[in-house]
Amino acid sequence: MARIVPRPEMNLVEKAYIPEILRGMKVTWGHFIKGLTQPETLPVEYYPEVKWEIDRDYRARHRLMKRSDGEPRCVACFMCSTACPSRCIHIEATESVDPLVEKKPAKFEIDLLECVFCGLCVEACPVDAIRMDTTNVTLAADARSKFVLDKAALLDWDPADYPETDAQSQKAPGGILNEEARSQWAKGGNA
Amino acid sequence: MTDLLTIPFLITCAKFLLAFVPLCYLPLLITGERRGASFIQDRLGPNRAAIPLFGGLRLFGLVHNASDGVKLFFKESFVPAHAHKGWYLFAPMIPMIVAFLTPAVIPWFAPMLVEGPQGWVRITGQNLDANSGVLVLFALSGLSVYGTVLGAWASNSKYALLGGMRASAMMISYEVCMGLSAAGMFLLAGTFSLTGIVEWQSMHAWGIVVQPVGFVLFLTSLFAETGRAPFDVAEGDSEIVAGYFVEYSAVRFALYYMGEYAHIAIASALVSVLFLGGYHLPFLGTEVMRSHLGPVLAGFFVVCALGLGVLAWRIRRWVGIYKKMNASDAVDRVKEYGFMSACCVALVALLAVGAIASFLFLDSRPLAIVDGIAHWPLWTNGIVAILQIGIMLVKTAMICWVFLWVRWTLPRFRYDQIMSLGWKIMLNIALVNLVITALVAKLVMGGR
Repeated sequence: MARIVPRPEMNLVEKAYIPEILRGMKVTWGHFIKGLTQPETLPVEYYPEVKWEIDRDYRARHRLMKRSDGEPRCVACFMCSTACPSRCIHIEATESVDPLVEKKPAKFEIDLLECVFCGLCVEACPVDAIRMDTTNVTLAADARSKFVLDKAALLDWDPADYPETDAQSQKAPGGILNEEARSQWAKGGNA
Repeated sequence: MTDLLTIPFLITCAKFLLAFVPLCYLPLLITGERRGASFIQDRLGPNRAAIPLFGGLRLFGLVHNASDGVKLFFKESFVPAHAHKGWYLFAPMIPMIVAFLTPAVIPWFAPMLVEGPQGWVRITGQNLDANSGVLVLFALSGLSVYGTVLGAWASNSKYALLGGMRASAMMISYEVCMGLSAAGMFLLAGTFSLTGIVEWQSMHAWGIVVQPVGFVLFLTSLFAETGRAPFDVAEGDSEIVAGYFVEYSAVRFALYYMGEYAHIAIASALVSVLFLGGYHLPFLGTEVMRSHLGPVLAGFFVVCALGLGVLAWRIRRWVGIYKKMNASDAVDRVKEYGFMSACCVALVALLAVGAIASFLFLDSRPLAIVDGIAHWPLWTNGIVAILQIGIMLVKTAMICWVFLWVRWTLPRFRYDQIMSLGWKIMLNIALVNLVITALVAKLVMGGR
C-alpha cells in the first residue's frame, strides 16, 4: 500500500510568492556580497598558483626505487605486471650482474593512460622496488606516447624530495635507507 | 553645406552613437553574469584570461569576453545539412537588428534648447522623438521573437522547434501583461512619448511610487519577454538541450547570445525610464542641475571619487591577503593590483581637483529667458546631458543586475506554471491595476 506523504500547506504569504522570492533574493545577495567583499572566505583553491598538500600515502605517479649503484631495485619477477588489473606494466628481463640477484629489468614501462592507480603493483612487489608516493597527481602531456613512462623516467627522482621518515619498508636485497641514498647521490652516484 | 553643419545637426548625428549603448553593456553583463553567479554560488568565477602585458592584466575577468569573442568569431560558421539555409543564416541577425534599433526611442537625457541658424531648436534625448515612442519600442522588441522562432524553424530540429514554440507562446502571453502593466504609467503621464513620461515623473513622483504593482508586473513580464530565468523555458537546457539555438554555433550563436543580453540592457533602460525616473534624480531636476551646475558637478565628482576610493581600498586589502598565500604568481598579481589601485588613486585626486574647481569657478547663467523658459548656453546643456546619460547608465546597470540576480535565485518554472501565471494571475492583476489607476486618475487628477 502506498504511503501518502502529506504536503505542507502554504500560508497566504507563501502563496503570494513575491515575499518568498524576496527572501530567496536576500539569501543570494548575502552570498554575493560575501564573495565580492571577502573573496578569501570562499571555499576555493587558487590552483595552480597555490597548490594543496598531497599526502605521501596518496597513490600518485609511480617511481622505481634504486640500489646504491643507481640501478633499479627491481628483480624483474613480474609480480607487479601479474597483479596489475589494467595490464599497464610491461617488463623485459635480463641477467643481473649481482650474483645474489637473478634478473634485472632491461625494460620497465608503465602506461599511465591504462593505469587505474589501484596500488596493487606496490602491494605485490616482494623487494619494494615500486612505489606510488611521488605526490605527482597532475599528469599532463601533449602526446599519448608521453604518458608511457620508461625505466629512465621512473628512476628520475631526487631523494631530497622525500622525507627522512619514509613510511614504506626499506628491507630489500641491496636496499639502503634514504639517508644513505642521499649521501650516495651527493657523491654523484645518481645514474 | 554650411547650413548642414550646424550645431543642432551635429548633436543629432552624435545621438546616433547611443544606438551602441546596449552593445557596450554586453561585456559588463556577461562578466557580471559569470562572476555574479560565481559569488552567489560561493565560487570565484572566471578571472584567468589575461592580456599578456606587464605580467598579465586580468582586469577582474573582463578579458574573458575578448577571448570568447575571438573564439566565436574564428570558429567555422557551420550550417547543418538539414537546415533551411537561407532562413537559418538570416534568423540570428534579427535580435541584433532589434538591439540596434530600440535605443532610438529611449531618452538618455533631458530635452534641451540649442541655438541654430534658424533660431532655437529643441533637441530631445532620443533619436526618434515620436509621440508613439513607447509603442515603437514594444513593437520592435516584440520583433526579436521572430529571430527565435525563425531560427528554431529553420534549424529543422525537434528541440529547436520546441524551444521556438515555447518562446512564441510565452511572448504572446506576456506581451499582453507587459502592455497593460505599463498602461498605468501612460494613463498618468497622458502621453506615449518616453521623454514626456520622464518629465511627468520629474514633476510628480517616480513610477515605482505611483505604480508599484505595475512595476512588479512589468519587470516580471520583461523577464518572460527577454527569456531570462525563471522564464527561460525557450532554452530549457535540462529538457530541450539548448532550445532554439541548439543547431547554431560560432558567430551565429554569438549573435543570439549577444542579442539576448542586449535585450536585457534595453529592457532595463525601459524599466528605468518608465518607473525609475529615467535621467531624473530626486531633488535634481534638469533645471536645478543647469542653474546649479558647479555644485552639482562637484557632487557627482565626489560620488565617483568615493566609489573609486572604495575600490582602491578593497584592492589594497586583497593584495595584502594574496601576498600571504604564497602563490606562484604573487609578483605579477601584486604588480597588476598595485597598478590598478594607483590608477584609482590618481583618478580620485583628479576628481577631487575637478570637484573643487567646478564648485568654486563653474557658474552657468541662462542666455535668455523667453516665456519663462530659460535658454542655456551649449556647454551647460552638454555637461548636464552627459551627467544625465551617466545617471541613466547607472540605473540601467542596476536593473540589469536584478535580471542576473533573479536568474541565480529562482529555479525555472514549469511550462504550464508559466502559462497559468501569465493568463490567470498576472493579466488579471494588471487589468485591476489599470482600472484602479484610471479611476484614481479621473477622480484625483480630474482627467485630461
